[in-house]
Amino acid sequence: MAAEKLDLLILKTLALEPRHGYGIGQRIGQVSGGVFRVTLGSLYPALQRLERTGLIDAEWRASENNRRARYYQITRAGRRRLAVEEREWERVSAAMDRLLKAT
Amino acid sequence: MWTRFRRGLYELVHAGRLDREAEEELSQHVETAVAEKVRRGLDESEARRQVRIELGHPDSARERLREGRPGALVESLRRDVAYAVRMLRKRPGFSALCVLTIALGVGASTALFAVLQAVVLRPLPLPRPESLVRVFDTNPEAGVERTGVASANLADWRRRARLLTGVAGYYSMGRTLTADGSSEVVLAAQVTEDFFPLLGVDAALGRTFTAGEMARALFNSAAAPVGPDPVVVIAHGLWRRRFGADPSVVGRTITIDRRTFRVVGVMPSGFPMPEPGVQLWLPWDVAEDPPRDQHYLGAVARLAEGVTRDQAEHDLNAVARALSDEHPRTNRGWAVRLVPLHEEVVGDAGRTLFVLLGAVGLLLLAACANVAVLSLARGLERGPEASIRLALGATRRQLLQQFLVESLLLAGLGGALGALGAALAVAGLRRAEASLPRLHEVQLDPVALLFAVAATASCALVAGLPYAWRRARANAGTELHDGTTRATAGRGRRLVRDGLVVAEVALAVVLLTGAGLLFRSYQRLHAVDPGFEPEGVLVAPIFLDMETYGSEDKTRAYYARLFERLEALPGVVSVGAATALPTSPLGPDFERPVWPEERPGEERARRQAWVRMVTPRYFETLGIRLRAGRTFTDADGPAAPHAVILSEGLARRLWPAGGAVSRRLVVDYSTSGTYGYDVVGVVNDLRFGGPRRAARDEIYLPHAQRPYLVMNVALRTRADPRQLAPAVREVLHEIDAQKPAHGIHDLSTLLGATYARDRQTMLAMASFAVAALLLSLFGVHGVLLHRVREQKREIGIRMAVGASRGRIVSWVAGHGLRLVLMGTSIGLGLAVVSARAASPLLFGAGAVDGASLLAVAVLPLTALVVSVHPAWRATRVDAAEVLRRG
Repeated sequence: MAAEKLDLLILKTLALEPRHGYGIGQRIGQVSGGVFRVTLGSLYPALQRLERTGLIDAEWRASENNRRARYYQITRAGRRRLAVEEREWERVSAAMDRLLKAT
Repeated sequence: MWTRFRRGLYELVHAGRLDREAEEELSQHVETAVAEKVRRGLDESEARRQVRIELGHPDSARERLREGRPGALVESLRRDVAYAVRMLRKRPGFSALCVLTIALGVGASTALFAVLQAVVLRPLPLPRPESLVRVFDTNPEAGVERTGVASANLADWRRRARLLTGVAGYYSMGRTLTADGSSEVVLAAQVTEDFFPLLGVDAALGRTFTAGEMARALFNSAAAPVGPDPVVVIAHGLWRRRFGADPSVVGRTITIDRRTFRVVGVMPSGFPMPEPGVQLWLPWDVAEDPPRDQHYLGAVARLAEGVTRDQAEHDLNAVARALSDEHPRTNRGWAVRLVPLHEEVVGDAGRTLFVLLGAVGLLLLAACANVAVLSLARGLERGPEASIRLALGATRRQLLQQFLVESLLLAGLGGALGALGAALAVAGLRRAEASLPRLHEVQLDPVALLFAVAATASCALVAGLPYAWRRARANAGTELHDGTTRATAGRGRRLVRDGLVVAEVALAVVLLTGAGLLFRSYQRLHAVDPGFEPEGVLVAPIFLDMETYGSEDKTRAYYARLFERLEALPGVVSVGAATALPTSPLGPDFERPVWPEERPGEERARRQAWVRMVTPRYFETLGIRLRAGRTFTDADGPAAPHAVILSEGLARRLWPAGGAVSRRLVVDYSTSGTYGYDVVGVVNDLRFGGPRRAARDEIYLPHAQRPYLVMNVALRTRADPRQLAPAVREVLHEIDAQKPAHGIHDLSTLLGATYARDRQTMLAMASFAVAALLLSLFGVHGVLLHRVREQKREIGIRMAVGASRGRIVSWVAGHGLRLVLMGTSIGLGLAVVSARAASPLLFGAGAVDGASLLAVAVLPLTALVVSVHPAWRATRVDAAEVLRRG
């Protein structure tokens, strides 16, 4: 999966609520109906990248089963970026749609 | 931007913690996934297997996280350095050779750069040095290119020149300093009023001279101070050496030429005017020194703000013209020239140094090429390393980085060693016999060190790139299956390698021919007949003082006694003396107008001639040959008719029809009047300033008729003249214990010193050339060895199909010879061009001649010598084994 696409999916997932890494992977897998499978080697570098650019924040919290887990949440800059990227995605996919159906 | 930077810094500082956290996070992720599958009814090991497939290995995620952090570069560099150190230690011979090669290149070029910087590039250690100029008198009509200035004119210039903020004159001579009971001869400069203010340097301790001290500082015609309550400023070095750096020296008295002087100040160390060796400064009221046509003062001036040298020279020449109208007898035809002080101090040393720096640059290039060749050759032994690493997943960028680290490490070690060598060389140079101005200022300062770093870095790049580039282009497949490359592979690489060696040889050839040119030039200098025979002559300058030897009789008596004692020394053939000796810098040396008595007032008949007083046996002692008439005898005493001997050239110019002997010559002594002399003899011309200078017009007068206090005594000896020095010192001490001997040298050494720079330039160039030659031989050897290893298989096959050992040997040696011949012909082409750069340094014609070509002819021979070892290795190839391995 291309890095930008994964970034967009992570931002979208976190837009609903903060999650830890496992939760993010689960959610992307479930919602895409298993189309996108997220490996450790792609998910965590992506999270590191987003955190470094200030689009998401992370903190250690107690998880549902009362263990320490690292929770990621989207920042204001992240939401702005998500909005921009979503619009862009819609534009591009609409164009692709038209192109593919036109023939 | 700021957030990213802060974040980056945080990650750099907390790398360890981030590692642990990532570890925890990843393992939690895996455990949660496993637990989920177990909950759905899988057994644990199966769950783990599936999770591993779905999520990938946590190690690879960990690796990628680490790479994403800024510390990663540092970390990977650290690993590369550790690896490089291991690789270098595995082959100490190769590593040492590379390190030494780079050390040689960097060390030699850095030392030379430090010299160039100190001598030429760094401004003089004076405030606003760019506005300081030296002033010279010039009289093109009389054939005087430039000479010192006349004292009374100086006073008028000071008053009238508008575009100079000051003009100061000075005159340096040896004087006897006595303090705390011990005497020595030191260089003392008498300086005029503007001197210190104009240069803008004040005393480090005490003060310089007041106007009152200046006004009473009178000297008689023998340059002896005669004013009341004389004062002196001393040099920093003298203050430390003789007075233990005691600040209370100011106000104390010292004895100079048996007069008592009060010390008023100590100059700061490194004050370079009028010349670096000056130990004493005496004030000098030049306004009381009347002659307008005795051009013997050094002079320095400072241009007014915003004034160019040309403008100031123009302005001062207007003053000179006005003076020649006012004083036509003394000043007609005299003009001035201003020369930037820096140019005057540095002279043509810059040209020598730039040529040598160019040469050492070529050596540095050869060193880089050599390391590159060695690395390429070495690369083969490391064989499939790069391929293996590529196959194991290393990126090309990682490979490139690692090889560059290796070459940087080599260059860094070499550079450090080179800088150390340069520091030692510089320390040595500061103590060396100075054939360059400002040599004592040389130091390895930050700029020179920066140069060393830059040289090292470019070495690393030039030497490392060909190899690194080649390695990074390696294919994972090609070299894995077989340690040796096929004969058909790597054509491009071999071209690069051979090309580097050819370049190395060419550079060596350029340097060799350069050294050859300088050697021939030096030989020509050495072969010049100076007009006297310096071998076996010892020289001792004598400075008598006015206080004790003021009258002519006393001076005569001293010298008569001295000569008698010296002639009695065992091994002495003859003793002569003159006010100044050829190539010896000490003693009065001045020129006066002269003309034939039968042609008075005829401008065209006047010549400027250098005047010296000599003793009867002077010519015999120095080996100057009589051309006509007679030399002086003891009969040419005070009461006898005044006699003169002319140099050959002057006699011919004054009396072109010949027959100078027994004519009358008139010498114009300016304020002391004009005198007529009987010409009694003619002697050969001599090169007073050494072989690089032309012969001068000279007249010789008998010392007995015109006694001077200062005389340079020459002793011709049967054995090594230097062995006689202690005996001469003893005689001097016995005659007058307060006249310490100093400046005793043998004349050959003094003559050699006039072209010492030629010798040193030649030696420097020769050592660069030899170094480059050795490097190129290492290069040829390395390449041949490389070639034998690389083509082991081909050699084996050739041997298997019946090639004789001789064929194999000539195959190897032939390749070496081809490379060397190619390099030699390219180098000779370049040498013809670069010889032009060196030509200003050469004495006489400077074309690439037979002798320099002969030096180059040595190269192919040496190439054969270094191909012996690789050829031997080639014959040891085991054909059967090669064929077995296929």
